[in-house]
Amino acid sequence: MSYRTQLFRTENPYDLPSTEALFFRAMKENCIFHYEHCGEYRKILDSRGFSPADMNGYEGLCRLPFLPTLLFKKHELYSLPSRRMLIQATSSGTSGMASRIGFETSGLWCGLQMVLKIIRRRRLLSPRPAHYMILGYQPSKGNETAVTKTAFGATLFAPALSRTYALRKKDGQYKADLEGVLEAIVKRSRTSSPVRFMGFPSYTYFLLRLMEQRGVRVTCAPGSKIMLGGGWKQFYVEQVDKRELYSMAADRLGIGEEDIVEFYGAVEHPILYCDCIHHHFHVPVYSRVIIRDVHSLEPVKNGTPGLVNLLTPMVKATPILSVMTDDLGVLHEGGECGCGNPSPYLEILGRIGLRDIKTCAAGAAEILKGVGL
Amino acid sequence: MILAGGRILDTDRQEELLDTLEDRINRTREQGELSPQTVIEAADRLGTLIAEGAFDSFLEDWKLEGAEHYKNQIIQALDRKSLTYRWERELGSGSWIPQREQPPFENPTEIVTRVMPLGTLLHIAAGNVDGLPAFSVAEGLLTGNVNLLKLPQADHGLSIEILRRWIEIEPRLADYLYVFDTPSSDVVTLKRLADMADGIVVWGGEAAVSAVRRFAPTGARLIEWGHKLGFVYLSGYTDKERELTGLANHIQSTRQLLCSSCQTIFIDTEEEEEAAAFCREFLPYLEASARRYASQDLSVTAEVTLRRYSQELEKALSDEAVPTGRVFQGDGGSLTLLPDEELELSPMFGNCLVKRLPHRRLFQQLRRHKGCLQTAGLICLAEKRAELTELLARSGVVRIMHPGDMSAGFCGEAHDGEYPLRRYTRIVHTQISREP
Repeated sequence: MSYRTQLFRTENPYDLPSTEALFFRAMKENCIFHYEHCGEYRKILDSRGFSPADMNGYEGLCRLPFLPTLLFKKHELYSLPSRRMLIQATSSGTSGMASRIGFETSGLWCGLQMVLKIIRRRRLLSPRPAHYMILGYQPSKGNETAVTKTAFGATLFAPALSRTYALRKKDGQYKADLEGVLEAIVKRSRTSSPVRFMGFPSYTYFLLRLMEQRGVRVTCAPGSKIMLGGGWKQFYVEQVDKRELYSMAADRLGIGEEDIVEFYGAVEHPILYCDCIHHHFHVPVYSRVIIRDVHSLEPVKNGTPGLVNLLTPMVKATPILSVMTDDLGVLHEGGECGCGNPSPYLEILGRIGLRDIKTCAAGAAEILKGVGL
Repeated sequence: MILAGGRILDTDRQEELLDTLEDRINRTREQGELSPQTVIEAADRLGTLIAEGAFDSFLEDWKLEGAEHYKNQIIQALDRKSLTYRWERELGSGSWIPQREQPPFENPTEIVTRVMPLGTLLHIAAGNVDGLPAFSVAEGLLTGNVNLLKLPQADHGLSIEILRRWIEIEPRLADYLYVFDTPSSDVVTLKRLADMADGIVVWGGEAAVSAVRRFAPTGARLIEWGHKLGFVYLSGYTDKERELTGLANHIQSTRQLLCSSCQTIFIDTEEEEEAAAFCREFLPYLEASARRYASQDLSVTAEVTLRRYSQELEKALSDEAVPTGRVFQGDGGSLTLLPDEELELSPMFGNCLVKRLPHRRLFQQLRRHKGCLQTAGLICLAEKRAELTELLARSGVVRIMHPGDMSAGFCGEAHDGEYPLRRYTRIVHTQISREP
């Protein structure tokens, strides 16, 4: 059995110390695989003077060269032929550029086990049928974004009685239809079945604000949940305090803070980070976080802000074993949370301006480039 | 978000607006004109609002570096005095009113010549300078055009807010301004907008410009503000200390992100050792400036670091046999001495290229990059200055500056060698009398 399979079979998804050795072996196994099967990855490692054979021990994982998410937006890096990839997913590419990541069957199988273990702990898995309000994209041919796939995936946590989408495809284009969602909420909240919301925090906030403006107030059936994911991007001008969102949800939908769950993840690091009851993202065993100094890129101590580097041996189709996100964050000791989960937790402080600042000299051409205009 | 007739509309209403837009524009243009005085007065008042802090929250939100300097530049550009000066400089001092003239030679006709707006301008703006879209439109308004603006995706909402406030000050501007947030991928909409335009103003690199050329209707005037590469030519010194400090400050303060920023330093020599000696000598200046202009902001620093790292990986992935050159690595900057003579984009953020280029080959080398020429910083012996300036100007360079001022702007300045207002207007002649 591969080390990866063993890692994803770990019983307790937050027992980091006892999985260190296994995590290291799975990473080394994954690194050797990509080094042998992806020419570009090999070039990068060679250029950094790093050989997978030299990997010796968990503590040395920080020396494994990391690939910035920006690199996946410019290059398609694969270690498997496309016929071996079950799906390819893209990031939402708010700036017009998207990462393209391949996933093979065995990696997705690992992912499924991970998802089940993690959502069970947060009591999201339920046999009780529910109505779903997806405050995100309706799946469609041609939409390969990971947020769309995961939002749909979340509607499988409990059997779906219905699915209402806030972004629906009409005449080949996505149109926002919060009014339609609002109508559906009023209708579904009168039934005895729970209502589950899944989608972008920003859309959830817009919806709650719309309810306030219209004076609409409903009480969703017990067991209703709000699941937030996909980040605040594009709407940071409207960014609200999470507290405000929680109190609006309680007021307008009758859904308490304990039933609001937030996810963090990226197509380049497809590990499900699910918040605890204190809304902190504890690191699961399938992943490790290295916060790096903004000058030297060397690892920093817990509690110090820096760039967020995420590691996982989950995928063989694309070398995403160590990726550097555009996020600034801090890793806190697990004990500081108080929820009882001893695993350290990741706090995201914000995103660096990487995609916003375009250089005049280098060319802002990417605005039109890549879309075949 | 759409801005039309002074009102903010939801993006959903784009189709409905587009269906009637041409009729609306036609009515506006048929019925009247927007005088430059009206626009200048309103711009001046907008500048006062900005000075009073009306947009400070935007500047704070993005932690823009040098925000205060940037703000002052905007205020100055909107000032009545500077707009009036620009108009007279670019279009001629008598051009405010139609000029009656009797052309020489046997043509026995009296002619009235006047400057009129080109008509309808479509602006396709790049997002590399915050607020740039609003600037592009301001020039279009000043010349009396109806302006259609396609916002860049990274606009942050500043442009639309500036334009909305401007209309608040002067409601007569409302019919001359339509802003769309259509994504660049929506070619159908862009083409519909282009079909209504007499001129298309495009800011951006080669890809953006050639994309626009593909859908622009024949006969529409294409006004292209493309990307440029700045460089320094060094042939001895007049005041070494001041010149090297100025150049280092220029490189670090602009982070080499501007069209006018220095990317390559050409040394007037054949000797590699002489160029290497320059690198060793200049590097401490670059390091000192890096400390002076180091960003206090975590996310800016993180970005610079991550970009440098990404570029290293890109280099590793590149299949081309890139000449690696000799790298003089400093703290917060580097110089890479390369064997070729081409004008080239540097890795930016304090990392400059150095090449040898004897002055007898300067002209022919620069001609190879004629589309990219704009600013040259000239460092040389005082007695050589006139000769080298002449050579640079003849090669196609349009700004020859001292190294410390390569990115400095001034009122009435041409843009890439052209007066923009001339491109946004047309000259109309009217015959008023005939030989009796």
